[in-house]
Amino acid sequence: MWHLVSEPLQVGYMRRAFAEVVLLGVFGGIVGVHVLLRRLAFLTEVVQHTVFPGIAIAFVAGGSLATGALLSGTLAVVLVSIGGGRRRIDPDALMALLLATFFAVGVIVVSRRPGFQSDLTALLFGRILSVDQRELIDTLVVAVICIVALILCHKELVLRAFDPLGAEALGYPLGRMDLLLNIVVMLVVVVAVRALGTVLVVSFVVTSAAAARLVCRRVGSMMAVAALFAVVSGCVGLIVSYNGSIHHGWRLASGATVVVALTVGFVLVASGRWLADRIVRSSARERRGPHPAGEVAVTS
Amino acid sequence: MRQLVDSFQSPLFRRAVLEAVLIGALAGAVGVHVVLRRLPFFVVAMSHATFPGVAIASVLGVSLFLGGTTFGLLVVAAVLLLGTSAVLDSGSVIGVVLGGSFALGVLVVSATPGSSRDLSAFLVGSVLTVTPADIATTIVVGVVVLLVLGGLHKELVLGAFDRRGAAALGYRAGALDAVVLAAVTVTMVASIPSVGTLLAVALLTVPALTARLWVERVVPMMVLAATIGAVSGLVGLCAAAVWSVAAGASIALTTGVCFLASLALTTAAARWRHHSALTTAPAAV
Repeated sequence: MWHLVSEPLQVGYMRRAFAEVVLLGVFGGIVGVHVLLRRLAFLTEVVQHTVFPGIAIAFVAGGSLATGALLSGTLAVVLVSIGGGRRRIDPDALMALLLATFFAVGVIVVSRRPGFQSDLTALLFGRILSVDQRELIDTLVVAVICIVALILCHKELVLRAFDPLGAEALGYPLGRMDLLLNIVVMLVVVVAVRALGTVLVVSFVVTSAAAARLVCRRVGSMMAVAALFAVVSGCVGLIVSYNGSIHHGWRLASGATVVVALTVGFVLVASGRWLADRIVRSSARERRGPHPAGEVAVTS
Repeated sequence: MRQLVDSFQSPLFRRAVLEAVLIGALAGAVGVHVVLRRLPFFVVAMSHATFPGVAIASVLGVSLFLGGTTFGLLVVAAVLLLGTSAVLDSGSVIGVVLGGSFALGVLVVSATPGSSRDLSAFLVGSVLTVTPADIATTIVVGVVVLLVLGGLHKELVLGAFDRRGAAALGYRAGALDAVVLAAVTVTMVASIPSVGTLLAVALLTVPALTARLWVERVVPMMVLAATIGAVSGLVGLCAAAVWSVAAGASIALTTGVCFLASLALTTAAARWRHHSALTTAPAAV
């Protein structure tokens, strides 16, 4: 059993992939709890598609992908913030519009190159196995800065999530706090983009936090569980993809396997929670005895 | 210009134009319901969620339309089921489901040898290779969807603007929601061959948003949105032929340009009207 884990660890690129998954898992899990509390899942989805034109232009022009992603992600976040204040346009519709048009620009840029389909696939789904040391350091630095910022503003951000009116009455600058969180979400997407591509990042952020929400109530413990969940499922995904591809010839794309592992983990947690709820309910019913009124009160 | 004339000589290109115009019109009209009911996130989710169905269908060699629709409806059921737990908000549930199902689709395609070309065709479309069968599917889906939306028009609009009122009048609001969600899903799947799953989002939201800037009433909005969608299909395809870029993306970008131009024009018109009202009737201020 142990060789399933120890064997990939002997390989240099797998060690770097594990390190990247651990870093992104901790970072994504912690940010994800804020995304969950503030219901920013759609924003995360939009940002991960809007960094695409920046990556595409950087790729075609031979520049740094992360810089391109950062520039177009920032532009999108700024547009979302400006447009969110307008009465004539529904914010959700605006985000869908930005997603589609930004993405279209990226595809057009890539499609100018002959045989663009395989480039497009690499940019969309990432190459987690080709992460190098510099990218690991970039990820680490960005993650540390963002997590420190989130810890410093923790109390205020949680207050703003649960009681926006109260936070405003206490004089906190809500607009600036929202912008901070939007920028942190964008930075997660930017550092994860080389490894996971632009369409799979959302799972690292949203799925792990949603799984943690099912088992915890307090924000701090939710963050710890979300980070742990993302790291464990991410590593399981890498191990499955490595062993499947090397020993069984299954050709499992590593990034997609990692995300499927996260989703399977979520399904397991959700069904565990459902079972636990049922057991608690049925034992409560037994204690009360077969009384019709009690049954209605419990199930409703 | 000569390039464009040459393109029109080819039957493949004429077929592509027909498909792009039909899909643009259909998605534009359906999009009005998406915008009225604030379903853009649902559309984005379905664009990812129908993908594994299409991928599996293509590996198994069965109809892509059937695969995409079946899987899409399964995902809708999963979202509704998880949404009842009340611990998670619907946005997070949609986020979990769309990420997971998309990754499943990628996994299926990547496990099939030599398929990265197919993968990008699903994602961004390949309108120049549409078959007569695709066009027939589009026509059938379009007629059915428009008949259903037309037949239930009054009820759907009431449900969109005043859900409680509709329920109080005895309409089943859930059933009306299901009709719209199903219409969006089949339209989405029908547009996969031409613009791909990710860019169908553009056709299903942007023309309707643009039309909403110009008109207030629902039926004219649908007509205008369908026109914008059809014209964007035509213009986008011609632009793609002239500059040789990806056709689906060029169609999507054309809708975005229409929106920007409309936003600028309507904003300027509103300013001008406001300004002339101020100068002609200063007492009213």
